[in-house]
Amino acid sequence: MKGTRWHRLALVGSAIALIVFASLVGGLLWQGLPEISWHFLWSPPAETGIFGGIGPELLNTMTMVGAASLITVPLGLAGAVLRVEYGARPGFILLFDRIRYTFLSIPTIVIGLLVYQWVIVGLGWSLSIGTGVVALTAMNWPFVVDMSVSALEGVPDTFREASLALGGTRYLTLLRVVLPTALPALVSGLGMAMARLMGESAALIFTAGINVSKHWAFSAPGETLAVHLWYLRTESVAPHADAKAAATGVVLLTLVVLVLYVSQKLARWLKAVDG
Amino acid sequence: MNSPPDLIVDRLSVAYRDQWVLQEISLTVPSGRVMAVIGPSGCGKSTFLRTVNRLVDRMPGVHLKGQIHVGSVEAIGDDVDLVGLRRMVGMVFQQPNPFPFSVFDNVAYGPRLEGVKNSSRLRAVVEHSLKQASLWDEVRGKLRRPASSLSGGQQQRLCIARALAVSPQVLLMDEPTAALDPSSTAKIEELILALKGEYTIILVTHNLQQAARVSDLIAFFRDGRLIEVGSTRDVFTAPKREETEEFLTGRYE
Repeated sequence: MKGTRWHRLALVGSAIALIVFASLVGGLLWQGLPEISWHFLWSPPAETGIFGGIGPELLNTMTMVGAASLITVPLGLAGAVLRVEYGARPGFILLFDRIRYTFLSIPTIVIGLLVYQWVIVGLGWSLSIGTGVVALTAMNWPFVVDMSVSALEGVPDTFREASLALGGTRYLTLLRVVLPTALPALVSGLGMAMARLMGESAALIFTAGINVSKHWAFSAPGETLAVHLWYLRTESVAPHADAKAAATGVVLLTLVVLVLYVSQKLARWLKAVDG
Repeated sequence: MNSPPDLIVDRLSVAYRDQWVLQEISLTVPSGRVMAVIGPSGCGKSTFLRTVNRLVDRMPGVHLKGQIHVGSVEAIGDDVDLVGLRRMVGMVFQQPNPFPFSVFDNVAYGPRLEGVKNSSRLRAVVEHSLKQASLWDEVRGKLRRPASSLSGGQQQRLCIARALAVSPQVLLMDEPTAALDPSSTAKIEELILALKGEYTIILVTHNLQQAARVSDLIAFFRDGRLIEVGSTRDVFTAPKREETEEFLTGRYE
């Protein structure tokens, strides 16, 4: 039977994928977990000695991703609303989508380069958390537009028609029907966007920098976890760099999984509330 | 209760881009009567319905000519108050389309759009509308449940209640029972008969028996034109036009 053969093949393929994935994560955990302690999560990195940690990196990752998300959500949502709810002209939609796909496919490192040119060279900002936030914002915007467009397009048009037929204006229809209905998809999409930003490294190397300052400030350099990971594996001469890199990887992975889990849970809860 | 308005359609033509989908439609639905609009698929029935509340405006490149008088209100023109028109002319769709909210919030949606915030007033409107849609007995005490927990037929009556909650005077029904089973269909038909008199109703339907059971008048459309309009009894027993007879006897579809 053809059907069962394909079925078996799919099962074997899935099993292989699962084993490879488990061994990768397992190896990372095996190497990294023993390194993790409160001290490691809390203290600044050190090139000498074995007591360096990732405290500032953890803080930088969370604040930079948080700030970039806070800025991009309204911007991205506004773009998507313009495209889906107000972009009645086919010509506008075509142009919008072209730009959207182009920006979405620009490598993030190129976006980083542009930000470097404009913000650091042009505006004279320093290699800093602030510049990193600008870079993250720039690369996140098209992504948030994209996922917001999907979320809005997922709202059945019959809801819009029902609201308009009841005397709702386009604005009130957006506010009271479309956005609440799209909210679960928006929340889970935002989770994915944040997870993606947490893993960004290349563009941040030359916008936010590869070191941390003693005093946290938006204008101070701000290495993130992902960048630190890259640094440990390529530049660092510290002892135990391998184990520290693995431990940093575990922390980053945990953060990503946490964000995804919480956003999915929240999305499901919101959906249940709506009914 | 004030009597609902006459609905007078005067030489109405509708085009999408350069293609006419309705041409020179003229007819009158007297106050409080039910007119069933019948005709083969693609004859322009739904477009006609959506022109009365101007939902056709959502189609890109739509072009309207002629006039529709809803009582003293004109529905066609650039400076028509669409919000006011749509509050006056309610609509029920082919597929039940309750919002993904609770039963209560669905019915209260329209009044809230108008700015009603007072909870006791909202409760009263919701209760009254659900009673009018003969759904109250089935959902009382379950008003906080999601609308999606209702059956298809109940959802459609919920949509009728939602439309009634903004006190329209005209109701447009676009094949409201197309997606429902026979017993739910029967309930909707009873409901239409009960609403007759209080509302001027236009019902688009593919179901000729339904048209015969609930309507006072029949309008037969074909290829974007009004072929025949008359009292339901006359059209069914002695159609004046050959095309109508062909359609009614199933020789044309």
